Amino acid sequence: MKERIIETIRLQKKYVTDTVETTALAGVDIQICSGEFVAIMGPSGCGKSTLLNILGMLDTPTAGSLKFMGTEIASATEHQRANLRKENLGFIFQSFNLIDELTVQENVELPLFYQGLPKAEIKKRVDAALERVGIAHRRSHFPQQLSGGQQQRVAIARAVVGRPGLILADEPTGNLDSVHGREVMTLLSELNEDGATIVMVTHSPSDAEYAHRTINLLDGQVITERIHATSAAIAL
Amino acid sequence: MFKIYFLTAWRSLLRNKSYSILNVAGLTLGITCSILLFLVIKYELSYDTFHSKADKIYRATTVSNYREGEARSSAAHYPLAELLRSNNNLGFANLTQVHGEEGGQVNILGNDGNAIKRFKEDAHIGFVEPEFFDIFDFETGANDPAQSLSEPNNVILTESIAQKYFEGENPVGRLIKFNNKLTLKVTGVIPDLPSNTDLPFSLFVSYKSFVDYSPYGDAKSWSSLSSTHHLYLVLPEGMTDKRATADLNALIKNHIPDKGANLPQETYALQPLSDLHFDAVLGNYSNRTVAREVIWSMAFVGLFLVIVACINFVNLATAQAIKRAREVGVRKVMGSSQLQLMLQFLGETFLITLTATLLSVVLTELVLPYLNELLELEIAFSILQDPALLFFMVAQVLLVTLFAGLYPALIMARFQPIAALKSRINTQKVAGLSMRSALVVLQFTICQVLIICTILVNEQMEFFKSKSLGFNKDAVVTVLLPTGEGKKLMPLRQELANHPAVRKVSLSSAPPSANITFTGNFKFDNSSEDVPFHANYKIADENYIDLYDMKLLAGRNYKESDSVAYVINETMRRKLGIESPSEAINKTIALGNGEVKGYIIGVVEDFHQNPLRDPIDPSILLANPNNYWFLSAKIDMNNKQEALQHLEKVYNKAYPDDVFDYEFLDESIARFYQDEARQNKLFKIFSIIAIFIGCLGLYGLVAFMAAQRTKEVGIRKVLGATMFNITVLFSKEFVKLVLIAFILAVPIAYYLMNKWLQDFTYRITLDYWPFILAGVVTLIIAIITMSSQAIKASLTNPVVSLKSE
Repeated sequence: MKERIIETIRLQKKYVTDTVETTALAGVDIQICSGEFVAIMGPSGCGKSTLLNILGMLDTPTAGSLKFMGTEIASATEHQRANLRKENLGFIFQSFNLIDELTVQENVELPLFYQGLPKAEIKKRVDAALERVGIAHRRSHFPQQLSGGQQQRVAIARAVVGRPGLILADEPTGNLDSVHGREVMTLLSELNEDGATIVMVTHSPSDAEYAHRTINLLDGQVITERIHATSAAIAL
Repeated sequence: MFKIYFLTAWRSLLRNKSYSILNVAGLTLGITCSILLFLVIKYELSYDTFHSKADKIYRATTVSNYREGEARSSAAHYPLAELLRSNNNLGFANLTQVHGEEGGQVNILGNDGNAIKRFKEDAHIGFVEPEFFDIFDFETGANDPAQSLSEPNNVILTESIAQKYFEGENPVGRLIKFNNKLTLKVTGVIPDLPSNTDLPFSLFVSYKSFVDYSPYGDAKSWSSLSSTHHLYLVLPEGMTDKRATADLNALIKNHIPDKGANLPQETYALQPLSDLHFDAVLGNYSNRTVAREVIWSMAFVGLFLVIVACINFVNLATAQAIKRAREVGVRKVMGSSQLQLMLQFLGETFLITLTATLLSVVLTELVLPYLNELLELEIAFSILQDPALLFFMVAQVLLVTLFAGLYPALIMARFQPIAALKSRINTQKVAGLSMRSALVVLQFTICQVLIICTILVNEQMEFFKSKSLGFNKDAVVTVLLPTGEGKKLMPLRQELANHPAVRKVSLSSAPPSANITFTGNFKFDNSSEDVPFHANYKIADENYIDLYDMKLLAGRNYKESDSVAYVINETMRRKLGIESPSEAINKTIALGNGEVKGYIIGVVEDFHQNPLRDPIDPSILLANPNNYWFLSAKIDMNNKQEALQHLEKVYNKAYPDDVFDYEFLDESIARFYQDEARQNKLFKIFSIIAIFIGCLGLYGLVAFMAAQRTKEVGIRKVLGATMFNITVLFSKEFVKLVLIAFILAVPIAYYLMNKWLQDFTYRITLDYWPFILAGVVTLIIAIITMSSQAIKASLTNPVVSLKSE
């Protein structure tokens, strides 16, 4: 049996303002194992992004349990979460979120800098990551000089360069046309085949098809889970 | 790691060019001003600090204790030096006496003893003892003053004076004549003195020559004091100035004669050398003092300018923070800690500050010559050879980085990553909107205080120029006459007046307002007791009152035929307790110890003998041809050249060995206020710069807000808003802040200026209009600054602005 990377039990998230209390997650129980490619789907406002943010330790739950590699982290401090994030997670965003002032290469180097790796190691890993996503020839370009698909490939290189245990992707094709979208999804699939665990939030059923399993959310709750036939062998 | 921070910072500055330019420009101006002011302050504080015994050197000054208070003088009695030397056991033997003069006639003599060149010398001439160079560490080069100043009639020249007189020839052994009195042999040349000394002599005459030069040369009397005669001494190791003063006063007690109950008893006070440059009352040989308050105000102005520039930075950086939100989010997601982010943003501030400082160095280099000219200083700017300056600049870079960068860095590093990534951070959410408002208020308070102070200082300066002095100073030429040729004077006066362009001529001890004053004791109304205050004597011929348009209130002017007749001023009349001017007539006055008795024959309206800082003295006008050193000529300004030519011709005929030199009285009176005038110019320049920096910041802030509110402007325009409405919308907030700043600035400026004006006996009253003017000017400048941006925003096509989000 594969190692369980993430496990949530009755995970809740509520946003409270002066007059309104909004429940974004109303008791979510999910497990994600190493090597899995999981898609999270659901209509706008169902809580997918909130769930992804909590799984990515960018946000904290209001109640419930969140275990990462078996350790309870629901009430971890910002500092602890930052360290876990740095060492174990890679992020891919719908709007790429590359830093405009940095070149392709420098953007990809960024997580390794924060990990404090030696220069030579950084160079080796960045070269490999850029080669892997097929953007090495554009390493000195700035993000604005690239197409959307190329920018997302840079973002993917940045997400994998630190060799994270888990890659979290928030609508990775949301800002791309269908051709570039397919390219990105193929790349993610390949990464998954190479061993990366991926959790992806998406609106697109066709993108979800690339995953082994789809979790459907509605009003902050898991309503269905579907294991894709082609990948049944890997699931659970 | 640092390289990537540096690169991000650099590229971010390039991407936001206008923001960077505003920040760098504001900081460059602020830092340049602070460097300039630092240099000025450091220069003023450096006067005579380079002597190795500086902290042990004191000037013996006298204090006359009147019933109405005390009067201080920089002078020491002539026999004091001799007394101290002969009482060696007290430990005061390490001393030097100095007689200093500013300028004089210097003739260069040829081999036959005749003058081959004549100079009206402006430089300072000091009669000094050889010990002068033991006490003060002036470079003497190869010269040994103990040798070259040991004999009478010797003189040492500084290099530049030697060059001026002898143009490259060897001056040693040559003869010069000083004031047509003393023939001096040049016995040495020493390097020029540094400019930051209050003993700025260019010619050092051996003190032994003073006997032949001045009637006081071998004075044994303890009754006269001259502010040109100083005594400097070095306190022995371990002796406090308090003990030394007590010892000194105990010693002189038996020597200073008791002048009776009504006259002041004189005591000594030791004044540290470090005080000389800051004591305007006692003054010094350089005639240049700076009040410590002025040093403090310069320091504060410098500090305020940097603060105003830093506030710009904080305001622009926190406003711009939104643009950087996504980057902060990404970095946090990639694993950056808050501390790392803060260091990154502080690094960027450091980069901007460093750039601004480097630009400031260039700007300082360019501006310093003008400042030196304006302030008549010789300040050098060489960072690498000036550790204090280097330290100041490094410290300033670090402090500005912290002061300007810490708050924005803290704000940005605290962004929540999700909100930052989703662009959910907007101007309102960035903590600091109220902080920004507070800073804008602070900035404009500083600006308005500076404007109000500048207007009021300027007004006081104008008041100096325009206040009626009780006499007419216009079109009057004054000429200092060579001394000691009394009998020549009357025919000279006649001949001088003998030209249509010369209207009136008068001879006197000094013009009505002058640096030179003669004071003395006197008896009144046949009393045998001295009057308990001194009178200011104006020794002048019968043309004086008429030439200067002084107004007679009672009695008449004296005539040449009057034996002993006095004209007094109103202050004198009042102080003598005489009810009305007419009652003063025929009352007796006996000058000095009663030898010269005469009658009051006239009373004139008060006139100012002193700068307007000081009150009007009780004065006596009297004639005495032996004391006429000044020639005053009222000339026809339409024929100015002819009049001056005539004066020169007559003068040269009468005094062939002297060089004719004249001065217009209104110009010499204006020089009374040159220190204030210089400070006025300095403050004017710096307050304009402060406002400019403040407006740069305001411009940036409004430009940014306009960009942020593009969509709002679009919607408002679609709904019918006019350009005026949009301008009002943008200006409202800032106008409120400027008004709050005004309310804060008024009491601060009122307090400061009231304190400053207290130093002047004759001063302007604090009116409300300079305050209102400052408020209005700031408001107008602020509105103009804001309007340009508001108009730009309102001219944007609403279709475009609505698409912007």
